[in-house]
Amino acid sequence: MSRKLFKQIRNEWKSNIWLALELLVVSVVLWYILDNFYVNYKILSMPLGFDVEHCYKLTFDDVTDKSPDYIPDQSRQDRLEEKLTILDRLQHHPIVEAAALSNNSHPYNGSNSGSFVWRDTFQTTGYTIRRVVTPDFMKVFRYQGTRGETPEQLSRMLEEEKVITSNNLFKRQNARMTDFVGKELWVDDTANVKVLGASLIGPRYNDFTDFDHTIFWKAGNREILWCDEYTIRVKPEMDKNVEESLMNQAETMFHVGNKLLVNVQSFKDIRRIVQQNNWNSVWQMAVGMGFLLLNIFLGLFGTFWFRTQQRVNEIAIRKAMGATNWEICRRLLSEGLLLLLVITPFAFGIDCLLAYFEMNQYYDGGYFGWDRVAICAAGAAALVALMIIAGVWFPASRAEKVDPAIALKDE
Amino acid sequence: MKLLQQTFYNLKRQPVIAGVTIIGTALSIFLIMVVVMLHQVRVLPFSPESNRDRMQHYHYISFGNTNWGDPLENNSNGPMSYKVVRELFYQLEEPEVVTAYLCQPVVKSVCLPKQKPFSADVREVDDAYFKVFDLDFVSGSPYTKADFDAGLPKAVIDENVATRLYGTTDAVGKEFLLNGASYKVTGVVKPVSTIATNAYSHIWMNTTSNCNYDNNWSTLGGWYSVTILAKDNSKESMDAVHSEVERRVTEYNKQIGVEGWQIVNRNRPYTQEKDVAGGSANIEPDEKAARKSRWIIFGILLIVPAINLSSMTHSRLRRRVSEIAVRRAFGQTKVSTVISVINENLIITLIAGVLGLVLSVVMAYFFGNMLFSQGYNFSLSQPETDMSMLMSWSTFGWALLFCFVLNILSSGIPAIQASRQPLVDSLRGGGNNH
Repeated sequence: MSRKLFKQIRNEWKSNIWLALELLVVSVVLWYILDNFYVNYKILSMPLGFDVEHCYKLTFDDVTDKSPDYIPDQSRQDRLEEKLTILDRLQHHPIVEAAALSNNSHPYNGSNSGSFVWRDTFQTTGYTIRRVVTPDFMKVFRYQGTRGETPEQLSRMLEEEKVITSNNLFKRQNARMTDFVGKELWVDDTANVKVLGASLIGPRYNDFTDFDHTIFWKAGNREILWCDEYTIRVKPEMDKNVEESLMNQAETMFHVGNKLLVNVQSFKDIRRIVQQNNWNSVWQMAVGMGFLLLNIFLGLFGTFWFRTQQRVNEIAIRKAMGATNWEICRRLLSEGLLLLLVITPFAFGIDCLLAYFEMNQYYDGGYFGWDRVAICAAGAAALVALMIIAGVWFPASRAEKVDPAIALKDE
Repeated sequence: MKLLQQTFYNLKRQPVIAGVTIIGTALSIFLIMVVVMLHQVRVLPFSPESNRDRMQHYHYISFGNTNWGDPLENNSNGPMSYKVVRELFYQLEEPEVVTAYLCQPVVKSVCLPKQKPFSADVREVDDAYFKVFDLDFVSGSPYTKADFDAGLPKAVIDENVATRLYGTTDAVGKEFLLNGASYKVTGVVKPVSTIATNAYSHIWMNTTSNCNYDNNWSTLGGWYSVTILAKDNSKESMDAVHSEVERRVTEYNKQIGVEGWQIVNRNRPYTQEKDVAGGSANIEPDEKAARKSRWIIFGILLIVPAINLSSMTHSRLRRRVSEIAVRRAFGQTKVSTVISVINENLIITLIAGVLGLVLSVVMAYFFGNMLFSQGYNFSLSQPETDMSMLMSWSTFGWALLFCFVLNILSSGIPAIQASRQPLVDSLRGGGNNH
């Protein structure tokens, strides 16, 4: 059986070599796409380290000298009081559970500020995001400490002027920040010494990004002047028409000095808008994968359709000699699957090379991992095998219907 | 005509193979054209960014201070202050126009007196902005240089804002409240899609009417971006603008260097294509890498179906071995055999190409949200597309080019093989079919 199969494949070597080449190219591209999905899936399934449900962002803008309500020549103290009054009103608003003011800090952001943190020979790895926040920020986004600290406890730590970091700041030195809790850290300047209050689970920058390197500290009065992100967590039972009800109070409750509430946006919307590009990429990759699979289906369908037409006499003879329908079908399927088997080691080799030369997506400290390459290569081979079966099935079922008496009447 | 008849006859003779060939080709052209459109809407001119081919952008400025260490290593990156706009960019002589505008629209409160406010995206722009970006005015006109110099509260609004405020688009000369300040409408324009990243907004207000426009987060860093319009899109004009900016930055660095400041130019300003290849203010965009990855995608989208189609064409030609042999026996040369096969295949490729192109336009028009995404901003407006963005002569040109390439790739080798078939074997009905 297998000798005959090899002989048949050899006889058709010209078109088979094209088919094999196509299977090879598609297997490699599918591996690349599956590798991308694998990384995205791994990242998406990691804990975020924060919770944006029931959270909203309030944007305040300045009224200008063209407005009758404009207050000219405000001092720094006036501007500070404006901001603190708004925060106070938000914190005491009946629908609000927690409210905070921050700068370049909330999740799903695009603007970042950086800091450098060190202690003795330990120092931060890569870009460390500086999050300057008022203490209740921890309660708004429900951050969790690695030693079980609650958002309320974390908030108190910020109140006590302690800093809070992600657990990975000293990853390069294989150290966990949990081991530095209670110890002093230098932040940006040798004169700026802070005590580490806690390290956090996660947190991530957004759904598509690995863990952040980040440090949180309490915004002082000078820093509050340039903080402009007001974020709130509303009580779950009050989470209805929040945008509209707050905007209705823009001219009354939320017009303080020269500051005016101009927009309220849910984090559900912010998350969708900021990550639209990422989701579009996933969608485009999925379409690309569908296209390649459909191509394999069409290629095999067309080729085997033609082959069964050409081999009607041969099939008829085999049937006349007692071959069952399944045997006819199996021969055709085996031909396609054997081609896949032949190219798979080559495809796997190319996959490994691409990963070795870092042409795929970065994840968890690198590009190459035997398990990662193998899982995605197996997935690609399985998908191609499915398409081979689907593509060969129709021509094979047509071959089964060959009536030996009619096909061989000319003979 | 004869070729057409012959092609359709052959298609009818083998409907399954013909169907598979057409579907395969159409799918390939469809996906390639989607990739082309994804790129073109970001690079090719369309209203209100009709001048993209002669624009150069200086969206962000990178700068350091000797107090922070080496400016090349330690620098701040982001939009620029109006001080830089005034002292550096408004002084340029080579360009036709220079405009400065808010890097991205901000949300402001909009209403009529004693009515509930609503949120709208607002961009502060100067008077020159309307010469660079050709917003489609349905009535009125932009505010003038005199308005800009005098800091008058004037604005241009889009039809949606006009209708929401006044119930009609007839709004020129009327007033509305923007963050509580009274603004006069000088013009009403058609709504702009978020895909036109630099032109997009709901309201365009006079920058100098905001008394805070000169308050910045740093001496050099602020909230504004600059777009420079060269006199024409020739290489000389574009290069002249670029060189002048570089020269001025060097001179300006000497001026601000007294206080330790230094601008790190990162090869700015960028052409539209280079600008969209990047995203971060602290990294020079790599347009060559973006181009390379696009060609790799095109390559894969062409090669995979081409292998398929080649195998399909090969199969079709096997059926016609005797016919080709008869034609050759009557004097047709090998070259004309190859040409006739390629021509015949070209008709099929073109039919499928049109189908693929139509499919891609339908896809881009109705499912634009899944394909296009706005730049970095928090606007709730969804990216919208229209035919003027999606279809241009170059789109047709690319579609046609890819059809030709696909045709040559898929029919070239089978045609040569068919022409080399030994005549006697072919006429006997055999040949090396199996």
